[in-house]
Amino acid sequence: MEIKDSVFLVTGGGSGIGEAVAKFFAEKGGKVAIVDRQQHDIDRVVGEIMTAGGEAIGIAADVTSEADTTRYILATVAAFGKLNVAVAAAGIIRDSTMLSLDKASGKVSRKLTLEKWQAVIDDDLTGTFLTLRDAAEAMVNGGWEGLLVPISSVNKIGQIGQLNYSSAKAAVALMPKIIVGEFLMRGINNIRCVGIAPGYTATPMLTGMNQEALKDILADVHIGRLIEPRELAQMIGHCVENGALNGTTIEITGGLCNAHGIAK
Amino acid sequence: MKTLRYNDTDFLIGKTDGKLTIYRVLADGSHAVVGTGLFADVSESQAQECAQALVETIFPVGVHTVGPDVNHPHAIGDINIVGPDVGHPNFVYWNQDSTSFPR
Repeated sequence: MEIKDSVFLVTGGGSGIGEAVAKFFAEKGGKVAIVDRQQHDIDRVVGEIMTAGGEAIGIAADVTSEADTTRYILATVAAFGKLNVAVAAAGIIRDSTMLSLDKASGKVSRKLTLEKWQAVIDDDLTGTFLTLRDAAEAMVNGGWEGLLVPISSVNKIGQIGQLNYSSAKAAVALMPKIIVGEFLMRGINNIRCVGIAPGYTATPMLTGMNQEALKDILADVHIGRLIEPRELAQMIGHCVENGALNGTTIEITGGLCNAHGIAK
Repeated sequence: MKTLRYNDTDFLIGKTDGKLTIYRVLADGSHAVVGTGLFADVSESQAQECAQALVETIFPVGVHTVGPDVNHPHAIGDINIVGPDVGHPNFVYWNQDSTSFPR
């Protein structure tokens, strides 16, 4: 599939990885629908794409809402006449260990709350499911060639302090295999699904963190630096153009080396 | 530029190289881009209709109700109001028409 003149939907497109992906495809001649919770982020990114000569629309929405998902798919097709690529980049973290102990008594002093668990499952797993499901529905009914791109994470292997996030990202990493298997069963042959599992990426969340902790993280990365969001966008661009990539989740980590397959 | 007023918001519709750009007028009078590169293949009148339909899809009119938040206590002096507790056995759902206020 060509990037130029294809129509892209990017959730979480108002910042971080989603913003880089949206701008990359707009720069390459794609038409981009940017979905985000924050209207001011959408306004900024759509404005910057227009200034750079690209084509885009912005839709403020909550990816966990079925009604909102329907609305942003409809708006994308209304604006650009079709939908070819859906990148489900919206995601949040709410880190906490499952149990915390009181040092003096050794008893449990705090638990991972249901609110923190549910918020991450809703956004990162259910939100991805809704976007991919409804994007695929539009592609099938419209007869358009398509690609579904769920964004997993290298922390799908199990990140301490991220029981909620790692659980969601492990489930998301499985989606391409299942979706493509079902497409094969249903005779849907023109829509592929490729997941991306980024390693530690230079988003504001990481670049703004404690620099000593960041140094510790980078000690395990072979290339010795964070992945740039644009490098992830380039990988997704390659997935768009290379029709043989399908039914798998690709890691892009810079060579992250974790002892025993468990993150720190 | 043409203007469009919808749901108490003003929108401006401009055309560049045969494609529409829709702007939303913000409270301070500045503009934000709703969408750009739109509706190149339709006539002038159709483009206006498409622009309005797109604006209505992106900015739907609706009421978002939240609550009752039974976990949120409101304190008035010494009185702590926690309710309504919709799970309480004395909480009555009234779903009949009233003779005083027919539906």
